[in-house]
Amino acid sequence: MSVLPWVVAAWLFGVGVYGIATSRNYIHLIGCLSVCQSATYVLLLGIGYDWGAGPPIFYDHPPGTPAVDPIVQALVLTDIVVGATVSALLLAMALQVHKREGTLDPQEIKPLKGQ
Amino acid sequence: MSPKLRPALLALAALAILPGFWRVACALPGFGSPVSPYGQAVNALLPEMRRVSNMVSAINFDVRGFDTIGEEFMLLAAVAGTVLLLRGGRGEDRADAGGRIGGRAIVPRADAVVLICRICGPFTFIFGVYVALHAMATPGGGFQGGVVIASSLLLIYLGEGYGRWRQLVREPVLDAVEGAGALLFVAAGLLPVFLGLRFLTNVLPFGTAKDMLSGGLMIVENAGVTLAVAGGFGTVLLEFMEETRATTSEVADPDDGRTGDRA
Amino acid sequence: MAFLLAAMLLLAAASGLAVVLTRDPRRQVFALAGNGLVLTLLFLVLQAPDVALSELAVGTAATPLLFLAALAAVRINRKRDAADTGGPE
Repeated sequence: MSVLPWVVAAWLFGVGVYGIATSRNYIHLIGCLSVCQSATYVLLLGIGYDWGAGPPIFYDHPPGTPAVDPIVQALVLTDIVVGATVSALLLAMALQVHKREGTLDPQEIKPLKGQ
Repeated sequence: MSPKLRPALLALAALAILPGFWRVACALPGFGSPVSPYGQAVNALLPEMRRVSNMVSAINFDVRGFDTIGEEFMLLAAVAGTVLLLRGGRGEDRADAGGRIGGRAIVPRADAVVLICRICGPFTFIFGVYVALHAMATPGGGFQGGVVIASSLLLIYLGEGYGRWRQLVREPVLDAVEGAGALLFVAAGLLPVFLGLRFLTNVLPFGTAKDMLSGGLMIVENAGVTLAVAGGFGTVLLEFMEETRATTSEVADPDDGRTGDRA
Repeated sequence: MAFLLAAMLLLAAASGLAVVLTRDPRRQVFALAGNGLVLTLLFLVLQAPDVALSELAVGTAATPLLFLAALAAVRINRKRDAADTGGPE
């Protein structure tokens, strides 16, 4: 149990990289990239977790009760939202590729030619 | 590189990394024992020092406020890039009608969908505002609330159709909201500088704990993040929806689309 | 608690695999939304309600909607190209 979260994080990252390497569609590839991203969320929140501690919000229970690490939560929170806009940017690039090349398959895209 | 060689190379790399990963996983502290004294110090000290009850918001907007400015400008840059790519490649001949895929009849919206969207849309919007406003007391904040607000705008599209949606949700307004959010955050950071203090020093009165208006300057920063995220996500969603529209020439051509209906 | 955590972690691993192995992008959107929901529950179990709320809004609503809009745009572009060249769709 004590290594399970790290194994899951590594698994998610590895699976995402496998998907990126074998993907035949740019939109599928961006979905795989978001799986890679979720590996970092699992790793960070796993590092901050504390058995028996509550959430770092002292509304219902008074300050001083054991709480998990809020720093990693703040990092993950902003990363999720900003990561989604970066996915949007990648999707926009994929649409441009489709407009110019008529395909979304990375295999069929010709290399860029120097001007 | 051939498609068959690639997975083989990947497997080779994974095999090489695996022992290293296992060493690291065993060397990491066991799951469930806190490692960072910084986080525990925040939990112990900040409720007293800043009179807020949500530590995550306190870190985002106070302890690591400078970090959050960076995040917000990453968001701004990503949204600007998306808009630039989509608008630049599209031209200006988009009509209000949806792009058609031939052979598919257009099913009119059911009354139930319109009703549910008219009920749920405003409630989702209000919920987003609620989540954003209660950042300092309960789970929530500008990042989550902004996304909820932006997705409530899409419910208008689902219920009212594209033309009405574009009448209500205007691009210049969303752009202005996004920019104003970023500006508000920077202005909140610069306010203490004009008072002779350091950037982002929390100069406003802290208020009482568990209150909606606690945390001083954090309230202003949270409002800035809410505006930036809501405007940014709204713009991105709108640009992608615009991409699915028919061009004016397709709408003007009476033969296009209708032949698809008959087929 | 330990059992719940282990179950959610394994579920997250499985749903991540499902996203990668769903090769058709249109089906992958739904796998992605499911993955977002599983991650939301995992973050809730990890005592991170703020992060769970964020993942719920982004992972199960905003990102899949963006993917759907992008796929619709790709299909309409493809149809437009087919009409331009006069070839079949």
